[in-house]
Amino acid sequence: MLGFGADLLWADMNRLLAFLFHQGVLDEQFLQLQQLQDEASPNFVSEVVNIYFHESEKLLNNLRGLLMERELSDYKKMGIHLNQFMGSSSSIGAKRVTNICVAFRAATDQSNRAGCLRALEMLEHEYCYLKNKLHELFQIEQQRALVAGVRYPVQNQ
Amino acid sequence: MAQSRSAAGACKGATAEFPAGLRVLVVDDDATTLRIIEQMSIRCRYRVTTCTEATVALNLLRERKGCFDVVLSDVHMPDMDGYKLLEHVGLEMDLPVIMMSGDSTTSAVMKGIRHGACDYLIKPVREEELRNIWQHVVRKIWNENKEHDNSGSMEDSDWNKRGNDDTEYTSSVADAAEVVKAPKKRSSLKEEDIELESDDPATSKKPRVVWSVELHQQFVSAVNQLGLDKAVPKRILELMNVPGLTRENVASHLQKFRLYLKRLSGVAQQQNGMLNAVPGTIESNLSATGRFDIQALAAAGHVPPETLAALHAELLGRPATNILSTADQATLLQASIGLKHSHAEHAVAYGQPFVKCPSNIGKDFPPSFLTANDMSSGYGAWPSSNNTMGSVRPNNSDERVGTQYNNILMDILDHQQRQQPQQKQQQHQQQKQQQQQPLIHDQSCSINVQPSCLVVPSQSCDTLQAVNGSASVNQNCSFGMNAVIDYSLLSQKSNNSVSASQFSGGDTKARAVLYAHTMPSTCSMSSINGSIQQLQNSTLTFGGARPLPSPLPMSDRQDPYGLKSGDSFDQVCLRNIGFIGKGTCIPNRFVQNEIESSVSDFSQMKVNVDSTGNALKEEPNFINMQKVSRPIVERYQSCDHSSVFTE
Repeated sequence: MLGFGADLLWADMNRLLAFLFHQGVLDEQFLQLQQLQDEASPNFVSEVVNIYFHESEKLLNNLRGLLMERELSDYKKMGIHLNQFMGSSSSIGAKRVTNICVAFRAATDQSNRAGCLRALEMLEHEYCYLKNKLHELFQIEQQRALVAGVRYPVQNQ
Repeated sequence: MAQSRSAAGACKGATAEFPAGLRVLVVDDDATTLRIIEQMSIRCRYRVTTCTEATVALNLLRERKGCFDVVLSDVHMPDMDGYKLLEHVGLEMDLPVIMMSGDSTTSAVMKGIRHGACDYLIKPVREEELRNIWQHVVRKIWNENKEHDNSGSMEDSDWNKRGNDDTEYTSSVADAAEVVKAPKKRSSLKEEDIELESDDPATSKKPRVVWSVELHQQFVSAVNQLGLDKAVPKRILELMNVPGLTRENVASHLQKFRLYLKRLSGVAQQQNGMLNAVPGTIESNLSATGRFDIQALAAAGHVPPETLAALHAELLGRPATNILSTADQATLLQASIGLKHSHAEHAVAYGQPFVKCPSNIGKDFPPSFLTANDMSSGYGAWPSSNNTMGSVRPNNSDERVGTQYNNILMDILDHQQRQQPQQKQQQHQQQKQQQQQPLIHDQSCSINVQPSCLVVPSQSCDTLQAVNGSASVNQNCSFGMNAVIDYSLLSQKSNNSVSASQFSGGDTKARAVLYAHTMPSTCSMSSINGSIQQLQNSTLTFGGARPLPSPLPMSDRQDPYGLKSGDSFDQVCLRNIGFIGKGTCIPNRFVQNEIESSVSDFSQMKVNVDSTGNALKEEPNFINMQKVSRPIVERYQSCDHSSVFTE
């Protein structure tokens, strides 16, 4: 019965991934990340993703802070933050987030405050969604590893 | 923060290991990207050091001079502009620097080139791109050695072109590796290599002659002495009196030279005011030729402009009519046609179609042209008109586009004084080199126009790899401060566009990203499809995707992802689309029936979908299974993003 559970979990994980790909939440760059994971760095993906979350939250906070300023918002600075956000998001394959960053940056180029606000909301929403999904993914991964570990005394974490 | 990691298995001097052990310094303020690139570098078995701050990186480089082989730097960094770092490194340490950025706009890339970047990678950087960066190290070292190398300019430049051939590579690469690791010994090593290679010209393949500036100068003066119309290879050879040079070398070079002149003669009309005019002796088109060569060679710093001017003016003054003579044309025509690879055309196309040449030589080049306006309005116009790069219209009076491209590029670089001559020089070299390498470019060189992208010469991608490094970097470097003329072969790729070559290695991914940044909604669709395709192929790699047997009791575990997600479209899409194509790749309980059923059996799918109890009303759109993903994706893609802009 254990194997069965592992299979189910695996299927869940794959399905979630497939779903995310399908939705455009993730793209092939994420696959690259997975390929970079090996015995030498078995937790690479989660490590990178955690770095990404950490950085992104800072960026999002900064962005919100900048946008909420009552005086003139510093669009240039926002653009800089967005550049970084874009870079990191595209590095891990977070496609939707990246796309919104692009739109957001276009809005900052035009100093379009309303557009920026909307973009920020979307960005936060997308980011949360991504974060949740990736957390889910890692949870399944962990469970699967556990289950597999119980069944086969092979380390893999 | 600076960490060091040593690559597992990096060995010193082991020939088969190069480029393992390459010492890379990566600078990026973005920790995510930094970690990823670090991991990729480790995978490539480089010895990687990472930095988040440019100032720290610079100090590191200063402290540990000679400890790094190549620097990868992000463009946008908070403490120091990436370009500044680039300049510093170039000046102080003379290491190859590769820029990275999410910004793939032509202007950004151009800026990188101007500041002397060896390469410009578009984020997200992929491992394949990292695997290639060693070429810049090798090239730089070889070029530097070439400068020191006064004993003649013949080298077997085959080695660095056969990128994929491991066996041939090991010896040269080992040397390169050793050169990399022991900079002091480099010149001596290099010379040994040269001697080794040129030891038996008879037995090995005919060593390719690299036409250095000096050599070319000798050539030109010899031709000048004889007169272009009377210049025969044999006599030129005698006059040049260069040991080791064969008549064939001279002959081919002469051919190219003639083509070059012809090409330039047509460009002349466009060059008004762009370059310093040699006191225009001739009304004729050839005046520009003089200018070009002069500028080009003068830029090399080897020949005082006046001398060259005199040389060329004289050279050109005489054959002003001769070059255009039918006899010559015929010869050239045949020569060029005879050249199997159509690089001749490309070389010509780069500047100018044959003057007065009636027939379209070689391939059919799409006759579309860019006007100057299109070009100068920004490289945005390029994608649609990239085929001009290869177009050759044997039309006299023109200022047409192959040349236009030249001109426009000149315009853009106009304010960079040194760039034009370098570029011309480079083109000159390209042309020559291209024709010296018939073997490599044997295949058809017609540029494949991909409607939505910059030109990617698809067929030649393989050969591109072979000549890869030289070509791309040559393009890059020529616009930098680098006055060294790189004679490595410029592949087809270079003909397409200068900026295209900036995208490392004809990287379609880069282009996809470019579009992703500019047209989010449409691009994401295509890349979703791309990713879906890849998904199908790669879910297998998730550990061997195992499609679940249908009888497994699934119903109780309703797809949480489908239902939980707020976006009802998603559910719909997921269920409707199933997974396109190879359903077996993706175990999905809800499409389990679809997995079994054939893709094209749409009605069955509909039935199945309905049978799982979900009412789906969007069926009418799914006429074609193959296309199913697109409408869906488009639909909700546009949902997501357009709202940002509406109002």
